[in-house]
Amino acid sequence: MLEITLRTLAVCGVALAVALAAGLPLGIALGRRSFPGRGVLVSLVNSGMGAPPVVVGLAVSMLLFRNGPLGFLGLLYTPEAMVAAQVLIALPLVVGITLAAVGALDENWELEVRTLGIPQWLRLWLLLREIRLGLLAAVIAALGSILSEVGAVQAVGGNLAGETRVLTTSILMYTQMGRFEMALALGAVLVGLTLVLAAALTVVQQGGRR
Amino acid sequence: MTAPGPPTARERRAALVARDLVVRRSSRSGCFELRVPALELLAGGALAVLGPNGAGKSTLLRSLAGLEPALAGRIERRVEEPVAMVFQRPVAFAGSVIHNLRVALSGQRLSRAEVGARVEAALDHFGIARLAERNTATLSGGELRRLALARAFALRPAVLLLDEPFDDLDAAGQEALSLDLRRAIAGTEVAVAVVTHDLRRALLLADRIAVLLDGRMAQVGEREEVLARPASVAVARLVGMANLIPGEVAAQGEGQVVVVDAQHNLPIEPAPGRAAPGFAPGTPVWAGIRPERLKLDVGRGEGVAIGKGRVRTVVSDGVAVTVGVLWAGLELRTHLLAGRGLARSIATGDTVTLSLRPEDVHLLARG
Repeated sequence: MLEITLRTLAVCGVALAVALAAGLPLGIALGRRSFPGRGVLVSLVNSGMGAPPVVVGLAVSMLLFRNGPLGFLGLLYTPEAMVAAQVLIALPLVVGITLAAVGALDENWELEVRTLGIPQWLRLWLLLREIRLGLLAAVIAALGSILSEVGAVQAVGGNLAGETRVLTTSILMYTQMGRFEMALALGAVLVGLTLVLAAALTVVQQGGRR
Repeated sequence: MTAPGPPTARERRAALVARDLVVRRSSRSGCFELRVPALELLAGGALAVLGPNGAGKSTLLRSLAGLEPALAGRIERRVEEPVAMVFQRPVAFAGSVIHNLRVALSGQRLSRAEVGARVEAALDHFGIARLAERNTATLSGGELRRLALARAFALRPAVLLLDEPFDDLDAAGQEALSLDLRRAIAGTEVAVAVVTHDLRRALLLADRIAVLLDGRMAQVGEREEVLARPASVAVARLVGMANLIPGEVAAQGEGQVVVVDAQHNLPIEPAPGRAAPGFAPGTPVWAGIRPERLKLDVGRGEGVAIGKGRVRTVVSDGVAVTVGVLWAGLELRTHLLAGRGLARSIATGDTVTLSLRPEDVHLLARG
């Protein structure tokens, strides 16, 4: 059980890190700049926020099938494939919420920073500090969605014991096997994990507010 | 002989110069164009930019700050130190007041001690030292404005651009802030431009005035010059020359008068050192007289009596009493200090004698 929990955390952790690394700059860019095609990108992101995970899983599987376009990578039924599917699920959430937080900034913020002659690196830090509430909301939403997601990881991971079995897929498996005591125990671990992580992030999010 | 006073505008060096500037902004309501052939912000001086809403005051300020791309022309910075701007709606960065000032100085390559000293001085100047550790989210509008000013001053800017600095403050707040601002500016070499629709507040700070009308620079000059000699009727109205009397120039003896009607005329005489208005007899003109230059009753033989009038309105705001006097069928306006002398006894219906100094009558072309 510990091994499954740790694997869950590892897969979700990597996926979250990748989603944040790609999603934050994208969200900030979409929120601050205007360019042709921005509207299309924003609506794409917004619909991605509600994309059914199982369909994402199906799409990634088809890409990774041995005779699929990315089949040569041999990634199907590996943790890397699970990370890829989860990144696709989390990315729109990170981009969408970051974009909304940046958009809610005072329009004079940018001018203020420019007239004060604040160096570029510090501007980014100030911006992140400014949107930290939205930022942590994005982290909470992304982590929650990939931690509790089952369809996509099942499709691309295959729930292989010792390799790609995570909390959600094993809960599903034990339920189907009728071993409800195992399913319930793993379910409790998952819920506990979600609660603890969300609580920790909430403390960080609300910390600076007085 | 006059004692040598502070340097006049002509002797000061320019800190920021705009030449042949054209800025165009298009919005839903149409295209707006600002044209400024020449404008200088002088070190150690303050320029008030006056104009009605939509005249382009804020656009001018933003282009001087380098925030508005110019279609043509150029803005020259003749100084090393930064150009700081305080917006009409200032934005505070998330965090404490003192964090905001430190962040503002982060681009200046200053020593830790220097940053500390500047931050402390700026907080003191604007009376917000006690708020140093407060989160900016909890500041009132007035405190936020003081923070923005302190932040700008901490930069020790060579040019300071202020957009409606007294907006949305109550009367006491405006008074206090304008005094603090004056104190902070005094003794520095900062070149200030202040945009405001409040003439009296502008005059508290400014030694020069620029008047913008519909995107065009209608007049730029020393404050007293613009107040006493506005370039047009529109400028006259904007700078508080409330009495504009239609008449016609006529010769009288050696000099000229403005004939208002059969019974009333106004003496005119160019002030020493000023060129004669140069209106030929028979020219229709507006005779402009600032309210504070029109005197009620000839007290100590000051000025020339222009006849009697009947008091029509007496309105006091507790500090000044505005008196409307019917003269030649027009209601002329003058001010008295509340609670003193004539202001205590004057009442509607009184007959008063009006007087003025001929050089205080400013002629503008009419028709």
